[in-house]
Amino acid sequence: MKKLMATVALGTMLVAGFAAMQDAPTDSAMELEPRIFSVGHDVSNF
Amino acid sequence: MEIGAYIKLHRIKQELTQAELAEGIVSSAYLSKIENEKTAASPSVISLLCTRLGIQLDTGTDEMIREKLQNWYGMLSSEHDMDEMVQTYRELNQVMYDNHSADSLVMFEIHKIRYYLVLGEMDNALSQINKLSEMSGTFDTLHQFYWYKFKGNYSSASNEFNQAIRMYEAAEEKFNQLELSEEGIADLQYTIAVTHSKLRNTLEAIDYAEKAIATFRVTYNFSRCAQCHIVLGISYRRIRMHNKAIKNYNLAKHLGELKQNTQIIQLTNQNLGYLYSTIGENRKAISNYEEIVKEEELMLLERITASTSLIKEYYNIYNYDKAKEMIEISLDLLEKAYDKERFQLFYYITYTYDYAINLQAKKFETFVIDEFIPYLKKHKDYANLVNYANMLARHFEGNNRYKESVKYYKLANDTYEELISL
Repeated sequence: MKKLMATVALGTMLVAGFAAMQDAPTDSAMELEPRIFSVGHDVSNF
Repeated sequence: MEIGAYIKLHRIKQELTQAELAEGIVSSAYLSKIENEKTAASPSVISLLCTRLGIQLDTGTDEMIREKLQNWYGMLSSEHDMDEMVQTYRELNQVMYDNHSADSLVMFEIHKIRYYLVLGEMDNALSQINKLSEMSGTFDTLHQFYWYKFKGNYSSASNEFNQAIRMYEAAEEKFNQLELSEEGIADLQYTIAVTHSKLRNTLEAIDYAEKAIATFRVTYNFSRCAQCHIVLGISYRRIRMHNKAIKNYNLAKHLGELKQNTQIIQLTNQNLGYLYSTIGENRKAISNYEEIVKEEELMLLERITASTSLIKEYYNIYNYDKAKEMIEISLDLLEKAYDKERFQLFYYITYTYDYAINLQAKKFETFVIDEFIPYLKKHKDYANLVNYANMLARHFEGNNRYKESVKYYKLANDTYEELISL
């Protein structure tokens, strides 16, 4: 029981931490830089 | 470039060893000294070596060829018709080895690296770099400038951005010793700005993009101006200066429309959509992304990025029907990709949401834990690792599986630490 409570408490702490963290979005995959080469195709980074 | 390096270049090109070329003329050791400019050989020895290589010496470059070369160099760094660029290359390749100055020939050989990169022929670019490495010690300052710049381009194209920056900085050091055109300098600054942006060096990206845009404005290079505005938009978003980011994106879009450049317009829509998504304006995000998916002229990467972005947006506002529709579109687009590895990330994102929306819990867990997360770790994609570890943790939390939930919240938190220390 103690173990379960400790887990839940830690989980809550981390959720709170994560909620704060979500103010700073970090997903770079959907943000695309322009290409370096004007002609032809460029190998893009995700 | 001196005669020794010129002989060496032709010998390597013809795949001859020093012994084969030197046989009956001089010793291999002496040829090595000639090639490395450690001795001044007599004109008769030089003449014999050149005859064996089938080359004639000419100190001046024919004016017409020189002009054609300049023209071709220009095509490699600006918007240009691909067929014309290839045709000009073929014509030059036929005549360059006949009767022209060593300087022009070396410059031509160095520019071949960029040519292969522009064509997307990575293997050829690498073998050209390897071929020239042996003689790079004999390059003069101008040769070195392009040598470093194009090697940097190769690293950029291989996603080796730290190495790319090192090469670009080496090229930049050559600036002061050369009289390069303003546009040439700005092109390198733009390239450095993009590379810093990839590395999330936000302030450096802003600095270089501002420098480059100052020149491109004067030379009326609107496409490059637009691209600089996009880099600035991305950078300002990252430091949460959203209004400034939006202003830059709008300028980029305006210039893209002026140039009728679909690629720039839609790239702006993608980044603008992403910005709105991060500040919780889902409708605006969706409307920007929708523009891209409709555009058939675009390359696959842009369309797949937009369609997967839309899956997330619709999922986040609980519009599962539209999210399913977007999953179908993404899968169709992924089907068309010939280089599956390049689009692997989008494949993972699409299936992750597919399993989540269709409530296939077991498949979702196995897929994310055994395939997606290891993939993200391997590619050091911390940004996505935070997102999907979080998504998985929430899933476990919702199912009262707290131990597993904590494990993935912890992974998300640790990864976030990693990300902000980048």
